[in-house]
Amino acid sequence: MKAIVAGTLLLCTFALVKGEELQCSHKQEELKTDPNWTDMKHSCINSMRTQIQAELRAAMQYLAMGAHFARDTVNRPGFAKMFFEAASEERQHAIKLISYLLMRGELISDVSTLIDSYIGVEKTEWESGLEALKNALQLEAQVTKKIKGVVKVCEDQPGPNDWHLVDYLTGEFLEEQYKGQRDIAGKVSTLSKFMDKHGALGEFLFDKKLLSGEL
Amino acid sequence: MKVFAVVVAFLVAVATAHESCYSQVDQACSKINSKPGLDQELIPCNATYGHINIVTKDLINFANTHIVRSFEYLLMATHYGNYQMNRAGFEKLFRGLSDEKWHEAIELIEQITTRGGVMEFVPPKALNGVEKTNNVYQLYEIQSVAKALDMEKKLALEAFNIHKEASGRSEGKHDPEISSYIEKEFVHDHAKTIRKLAGYVTDLKSILSGPDGSLGLFLFDEYLQKQ
Repeated sequence: MKAIVAGTLLLCTFALVKGEELQCSHKQEELKTDPNWTDMKHSCINSMRTQIQAELRAAMQYLAMGAHFARDTVNRPGFAKMFFEAASEERQHAIKLISYLLMRGELISDVSTLIDSYIGVEKTEWESGLEALKNALQLEAQVTKKIKGVVKVCEDQPGPNDWHLVDYLTGEFLEEQYKGQRDIAGKVSTLSKFMDKHGALGEFLFDKKLLSGEL
Repeated sequence: MKVFAVVVAFLVAVATAHESCYSQVDQACSKINSKPGLDQELIPCNATYGHINIVTKDLINFANTHIVRSFEYLLMATHYGNYQMNRAGFEKLFRGLSDEKWHEAIELIEQITTRGGVMEFVPPKALNGVEKTNNVYQLYEIQSVAKALDMEKKLALEAFNIHKEASGRSEGKHDPEISSYIEKEFVHDHAKTIRKLAGYVTDLKSILSGPDGSLGLFLFDEYLQKQ
């Protein structure tokens, strides 16, 4: 750690101003202990960090869904659009959680390990739009469960309940999760009714409705 | 009439030789007691043409590189958002780059599928041999801009390489749709971003050469916030 900082400082000095020293670093105000204003507990912070990863994993899984339905031999542009948008939304959730931690004075250190250097996807092909929608519902339900897990950790941690974070997670995140789940569940029902008698035609029509935002 | 028959025969021969979509569909349709096309995949009926196969792997790698870069920029932005660094302008700069890479990754996936390819989610070559130490993204201002400049140059060169692969006219590796796409969507934007970041390094270098860079950094950060 120190060696790397020293190394980069050295590089700054040599590469940029031959001989003259470039003042890259500045005084850092350490406000962690006095006054003690950052009061988040480790277990709670760690579960938030894990949740950030989980949101990004969901984003990647949605990206794979979008990529599948965008294929020429699958040709479901409406599904692709919906899943690409869902991917960006999950990424936004991760960013919101990061912003929250920053607001509470966290993420001063260990930032580089916050996100894995590569996040893989579990599944890359789906039998049908219906299967993917059901998969999406599962994915959302898992995320919801994990958020509840974070709430539980931050409530029950040794020391005081982290009311503010718990309120933020229940008020904003769970609200969005439940609404999102209801939306997908509704889509699953509509699509399976479409397909009951009409099969491929049902999926075709449903896809075009998704594309034009009529669902 | 005879000429017509010869032409038709020739066309049919050409069609079967190239396994055309039409001939496959025709075969499938004329099968007795079977529904058309249900018993076989219509393989030539896809969106693949030209020399896309030469660059598909590179495009997939390029898309995966964008995803990784997007997360890296997000970490750099995060670092500037903490109360000790407290540089909203630098945070905005790196968040902007992160958003840009993310959306470009989605557009690349769409481009791959437009040309009949299949996106694969695999670690990009850029990660090979890179060992992640804990403070790679927790850098001082000028260091992080320098790092971003290097990252952008690498992306630009990767785009150049795809362009080169797709524009080998004499070797029969000609795919103008891809080379034009790379030019239009990446090449010019890369040049602008690289120039901008290089300019920032120049400014930061002169600002930090003075007796006290911290005030200069504050003002530069304020400038970045307004960009």
